[in-house]
Amino acid sequence: MIQLWFDKGTLLLRGEVGTPYGKWDPRIACYRIKALHYRDVTSYLEESKLQYRDEVPNLPPSQTLKDNVQLRSYQKKALDKWSHAGFRGVLVLPTAAGKTYIALKAISLLKAQTLIVVPTLDLIDQWRKRVKDCLGIEAGAVGGGENTVSMVTVSTYESAYLQAEALGNRFMFIVFDEVHHLASPGYMQIAEMYIAPYRMGLTATYVRSDQRHELLPTLIGDQVYSVKIEELAGTHLSPYTHQKIYVELTPEEQRVYDEGMNVFSSYLREKRIVLRSAEDFQKFIMATGRDRRAREALLARNRALKVALNSEAKLNQLAKQLDVYRDEKTLVFTLHNDLVYTISRRFLIPAITYQTPKEERREILENFRSGDYRAIVTSQVLDEGVDVPDASVGLMLSGTGSTREYIQRLGRLLRKVEGKQAKLVEIVSKQTVEVRMSRRRREKTTGEA
Amino acid sequence: MLPSELLAVWKRKGVIWPRYAKLSDDNLEVAGNLIEAYKSHIGQKKSVVKEFVDELEDEGYDYRFVRGLAFLLDRKSRFRCNEKINTVDLRRKIYRATREPGLPTTPEQRTRIIEAVATELRMTADEVDKFLYADLDTELILEEFEPLPASELLQEYNLSLTQTLLFDSTEVKFKSSGNWQQVFHSIKRLGLIYEAYQEGAFWVKVDGPASLFKLTRRYGTAIAKLLPVIVANPQWTVEAKILWKYTNEICDFKIESWKHSALLKKPRLPILSFDSLVEEDFAARFQALKSGWLLRREPEPVLAGKQVIIPDFSLEKEGVKVYMEIVGFWTVEYLLRKIEKLKKVEVNMLVAANETLACEKLAKLEKHAKLNVIYYREKVPLSPVLQHLEEAFRQVRAKQMEFVKDFPVVFTEPVLNFEEFGARIGVSSEAVKAALTEKPPQDYIVMSKGLVRKDRLEQIEKRIEEQISLKGRLSLSEAVKTIEADGVEDAAGALEALGYRINWHGIDAEKAEVVRP
Repeated sequence: MIQLWFDKGTLLLRGEVGTPYGKWDPRIACYRIKALHYRDVTSYLEESKLQYRDEVPNLPPSQTLKDNVQLRSYQKKALDKWSHAGFRGVLVLPTAAGKTYIALKAISLLKAQTLIVVPTLDLIDQWRKRVKDCLGIEAGAVGGGENTVSMVTVSTYESAYLQAEALGNRFMFIVFDEVHHLASPGYMQIAEMYIAPYRMGLTATYVRSDQRHELLPTLIGDQVYSVKIEELAGTHLSPYTHQKIYVELTPEEQRVYDEGMNVFSSYLREKRIVLRSAEDFQKFIMATGRDRRAREALLARNRALKVALNSEAKLNQLAKQLDVYRDEKTLVFTLHNDLVYTISRRFLIPAITYQTPKEERREILENFRSGDYRAIVTSQVLDEGVDVPDASVGLMLSGTGSTREYIQRLGRLLRKVEGKQAKLVEIVSKQTVEVRMSRRRREKTTGEA
Repeated sequence: MLPSELLAVWKRKGVIWPRYAKLSDDNLEVAGNLIEAYKSHIGQKKSVVKEFVDELEDEGYDYRFVRGLAFLLDRKSRFRCNEKINTVDLRRKIYRATREPGLPTTPEQRTRIIEAVATELRMTADEVDKFLYADLDTELILEEFEPLPASELLQEYNLSLTQTLLFDSTEVKFKSSGNWQQVFHSIKRLGLIYEAYQEGAFWVKVDGPASLFKLTRRYGTAIAKLLPVIVANPQWTVEAKILWKYTNEICDFKIESWKHSALLKKPRLPILSFDSLVEEDFAARFQALKSGWLLRREPEPVLAGKQVIIPDFSLEKEGVKVYMEIVGFWTVEYLLRKIEKLKKVEVNMLVAANETLACEKLAKLEKHAKLNVIYYREKVPLSPVLQHLEEAFRQVRAKQMEFVKDFPVVFTEPVLNFEEFGARIGVSSEAVKAALTEKPPQDYIVMSKGLVRKDRLEQIEKRIEEQISLKGRLSLSEAVKTIEADGVEDAAGALEALGYRINWHGIDAEKAEVVRP
């Protein structure tokens, strides 16, 4: 009898038979198959009318699910497309369009043991709460010190990757939230080392600048549904306005800025270095380890940027804006944590960074939701997925040139509340590279980053 | 292990190696200064310590080196939060205090809020300001620090640097002088897969299950964790393939004990302990026998296909080696696996199995020609073991002698050393000697350490006679010199073969006289 079992993130097949999906492993004298091909291998064996013993899945006990999910029309359509594609594929929807509910509905349809993979610890909490509300069961969690597997389990990408050997055969359905992460060279192994035949990817920003999103179809299926912000704004999302306010650096700041940028660009000119992409820049940073002058040039650039991003003029402008939007729920975004704490100290606004204790972060978000706190200042941690229901004003003091980040920050403000008019205000230092960065991030705001 | 941005390497023509910090005066000084800085900054803020680190960077040292050392020192430090006050609590009070008046946008508004909270907590406004973020990483206070010698810090740095490079490895292979039990145990515990093979030396190649499908760094972290177990040995060679992420090329990496051992921190080897009392008792009694068989515990691994077995003992006499495995407590499954493995073994293996736990499965063990099973109840009996050893010895010896006798060679050299010849054809010198004594080649005389061609011996005799007739007498030391000059090491054997006698006058070779009786 042919025997098929799970071995540390792969499948092993023993018997007088090969398979088109496996590869002979001379180290242990056995056929070895990627866990990704579990569905393919079993259907191949069945179609070939070969008797086999399947010892692969090791599923947590099944639980009865409630179903309190009501889908909107576009959500229903997305789910249908996905079901017709064989319960596989990627759905592209703007932030705040309710991706979560589509996935929860899919779980209740399949009634299968499910792993939900998310980028951050905050999102673990958020998904668990939703699972509890919508499906009526306690979800397990893997990551952030917890390690419980149950019918529905939520994990970070990092933990799902690190524990693939142990968790790979424990789920039949796997949901990737913010699925663009999955295409990275490391995390794509999650898709390869888990057996789950049913797969769903969710994102607001499918395209990656490194083109690796092209790998997603083989890992979880094709993009089966896509809808843009414009199609939903006003009807399903709040309408929004965007405003850019330019501030002048103080003379002293301008001097420091010009000086630093000068050192950097003359070094590049001298060495005939052209930095076109993030990869180019990464290589340049590597070079600074070998070359002392390159490092000095880089440090000079960083000093200059810091001045532009953290300018005193910006803080004064921020004070004005806080007065203008006195009664609105406001999120203040910065690029660096230093500035988060400067703002938090000066305006006594609750700060959230990677250093904020987990309990305090939860409490701040809770108080913000209930309206006890009026504002939050943060760097990157809130960019992705974390649900801040009814913030209406976003004040961007600094950010990268990334469109993805821009879309996600915008998304924080767009969750539909009756009568809400969302406002995104960028405060940009004049005569600095910031002007270009700000332009770059807004170039494409939908679907493609 | 260091954060990857602190990894400093050299890379040239597909070869990569870490920029090791030599134990030079310069580097020792940097390390020493840093250690001193941590020691003298106990009680101060982390940010102050970091300022000192930054200064060292500015002095022209590679920033990755300086930060790498600081990173290791951080781990030998304990930082604690500045104040006894609960900062989370303090912030909560501040945030709540902004609710009524709204967020302060002028210094005056801010001061009013701070003062209100300060009064409530019976603190000064300055203290509130100071403690507001006292729990941030840079605000923490260095409380304890475990100092170490500068050279050890450099060695630890070099080991960490190597491990950090191995994070990006796709596979590693190594040879090593021992510690095999721990090595293979670690390989298994880390979820890796190995392949062992003989290629000059005994090599082990390690990667992971999914390595079969494509090059992957997935097992790099596990490989890095395996490294200390290997380099704990006195001798080793480690080679790895590094998938360099910045250029996506495969680079070779190699370190060897004779070159790198002094640079790296060496973890302590585990003390060899017996797996069971039965083993310990057997080893003690066997050694007391003084049977001429040398007993070694945890010998080098034995190949069983591509996997290995590490036998409990090896027993060696005159180049004949027998391995021994004591199977104490076992389950049927365990035994079956073991049999499967032992079947592939191509060496002489003796298995001692506990009879009280025996079952029909043991019969399977016996079927295998090279496996010899003896049974025991409480103690492993010595006499069947010895019997087996002697039998093995006879067989191997006979085979080897057969081999030597049939060896297709015509001897032409004037002198032939048993040991050298044995090494050349892969047979023990004792077997060579026994075979050639039984059937000496034509025109050769057998001596204790080798053969001498008759004409060479005659030449020696002629010279000795010449010297005796010239001087009237010949001292032993002069005779030895003459004989050795002719390429024969075994002077006493040569003299004996030529029928000379030695007249000793005391123990001085100068005074001893070579005479023909």
